[in-house]
Amino acid sequence: MTGRSIVALLVALLTASPALGQSPAPAGRIKLVGGMAFVVHEGQRIPAAVGTPVYEQDSLATGADGRVGITLRDDTRLSIGPQTTIEISRFVYAQSDSQFAFVLKVVQGVVAYVSGHIAKLSPDAVRLETPSAIIGVRGTRLVIEAGR
Amino acid sequence: MTRGAAWLIVRGAVAVAVVASAACGPRRVSTTGEAGPSTVVLLAEPDGSVGRAAVTSTAGAGVVDLAADRAATTVVGRQAPSPAATLDAATIDARFGQTLAALPKAPEAFTLYFRLESDELTDDSRALLPGVLKAVAGRPAPEVGVVGHTDTTGDAKANYTLGLDRANRVRTLLIGAGVDAALIDTSSLGESDLRIRTADNVLEPRNRRVEISVR
Repeated sequence: MTGRSIVALLVALLTASPALGQSPAPAGRIKLVGGMAFVVHEGQRIPAAVGTPVYEQDSLATGADGRVGITLRDDTRLSIGPQTTIEISRFVYAQSDSQFAFVLKVVQGVVAYVSGHIAKLSPDAVRLETPSAIIGVRGTRLVIEAGR
Repeated sequence: MTRGAAWLIVRGAVAVAVVASAACGPRRVSTTGEAGPSTVVLLAEPDGSVGRAAVTSTAGAGVVDLAADRAATTVVGRQAPSPAATLDAATIDARFGQTLAALPKAPEAFTLYFRLESDELTDDSRALLPGVLKAVAGRPAPEVGVVGHTDTTGDAKANYTLGLDRANRVRTLLIGAGVDAALIDTSSLGESDLRIRTADNVLEPRNRRVEISVR
């Protein structure tokens, strides 16, 4: 094998291996739903129901009468009110190798957030974003309204 | 490998599409092309304790610290966040009450202790299992996280395994007591997350534990 093909093989292995793993664990599950609400998972709109899993990079959206409550794997709790869109941009909770991240995008609407273990173990790994603001937390319960 | 690589590319494309469409949302409804105002309000925990939040504008102008119950700030466009001011309870209820009412119940934590170098629960801890079942039964779409821990006796690798044995032992007990196996996820932190900080090779019963979170 030439040096070049070994490099090519290594690159292929390194880029492919994350995708070869089994499907990732959900970041959390929906515990409460009211009115019109759905999850966008890999481009598919799924009606939100109690028990629906929510994965990293999923979005959630509600209609005029909608609301959703979710508990994430690290005990973080989130709820969204009517006419709200959020995205779980990043969720990494790997205790055994100390990898933590939580990035929530509030595209518009009203959100309540109660911090979980990630904020305790690695406060700098938590970021809540709206179109105009970036919020860092230190063990916190807070509410956010992002203008329409 | 090629299939894996292709899958990765597809995933990347989907992720970009989601972000792009999300970014289009507020721009479509805004007439000025600027981001709408955002308000952030810190709230006390039910036990009265208050956390902290630091708010900046996406444009990077200024930082405002929120550190008291009902402390609020608003960011308009690219301006710096407004100085922290206390929002009255009635306003918070009108704007956020419905959303706060949709927060799921707080997860319930249980700590079970083990006999020395063993995956056998102490008698007191065994008596806690019915409470775990009750917590599971009282929740919508319940999930049970089971994390095993050890003290610092022995080497870290063996303790990781012992922690996992303990978590699996508790998993078996929970399943035997009627918890659906599909709801339980087990993991180990070995000796890396001590409840009582000690030097290496110290016997400490309070570190030999499994922490259960019912959420």
